[in-house]
Amino acid sequence: MTELSDELLVAYVDGQLVREQTRSVEKVLEHDDVVARRVEALKDAHGRFESAFEAILAGELIEILAAPVLPPRPKRKRGNGLAKIGIAVVGIGIALAVLVGGYSWPLVLRACSVTGPVATMHDAPAKAQSAPSAY
Amino acid sequence: MLPRLQRFADVLVGEKREGKALLRRALHLMLAEHHRYQRGTPLDRFAFTEIYRVWLGELRDHADPLRQAKSSDEDFDRLFPKDRGADLDAFTATFLGQLPPQQRTTLLLVYGEGFDYVGAAKVLDSDADTIQARLIRASASLADRLSSGSPARKKASTTIETLYPAEATGIRP
Repeated sequence: MTELSDELLVAYVDGQLVREQTRSVEKVLEHDDVVARRVEALKDAHGRFESAFEAILAGELIEILAAPVLPPRPKRKRGNGLAKIGIAVVGIGIALAVLVGGYSWPLVLRACSVTGPVATMHDAPAKAQSAPSAY
Repeated sequence: MLPRLQRFADVLVGEKREGKALLRRALHLMLAEHHRYQRGTPLDRFAFTEIYRVWLGELRDHADPLRQAKSSDEDFDRLFPKDRGADLDAFTATFLGQLPPQQRTTLLLVYGEGFDYVGAAKVLDSDADTIQARLIRASASLADRLSSGSPARKKASTTIETLYPAEATGIRP
């Protein structure tokens, strides 16, 4: 029987040996039943560890998938950018009209519509001529 | 990646509720200290390292870290899904539950996550020889029990594992 340490055999089972060492172990395995049985037992242990950790991972996945999913937050409606610009332009326009026309421009228009037709430019000289001269 | 991180935390702590809390704390810390992440480091390795760091830091604050690190068999059994029924290898589950956290986590990193010895050593702030020693001890111990066919609940191989570096204790892990 060849004496091979568990250290070497575990490294062999884990695939951590270099090629030459792996070949050497495999040669021993061909002829030594005791070592071969030990390697089988270590491989079994290795496989059981892997399966156990896979089972835990499966449990984590089940738990995460089973967790209630919160509904997505309703997205805040973002106003149309063009509409905002349009409103701003109209607002600025009104402000300019008020500035240019004076604060009373709506009242002037209403007064004109009540008192009658607006005097034309041609009427003014005629009225001026008919008026008695101060000189 | 979240289920893998959750599994790492659960296996480290040995129970589900505390594992989840540990992961939450570690994730918060990772976000707060994201500058610690070095570009090129695999994200999973970084996350495992941070979870382990948080766990170890908190454990060292306890007066009796070894007792604090122990988990009950019942708590560890709950890590396995119940509906697997016959597929569940109760013998191996119990064996894993009786191992010290670092040895259990070493097995997870190498056999569950596919890390090599050096990668696992980096996560657990250790060296490749220590990782190999832990694997040999656990594998040989389970192989012995399987060969003998007696599912006796011996606690062989678990007694000399400590939370502290070998140099400090004089014990080779």
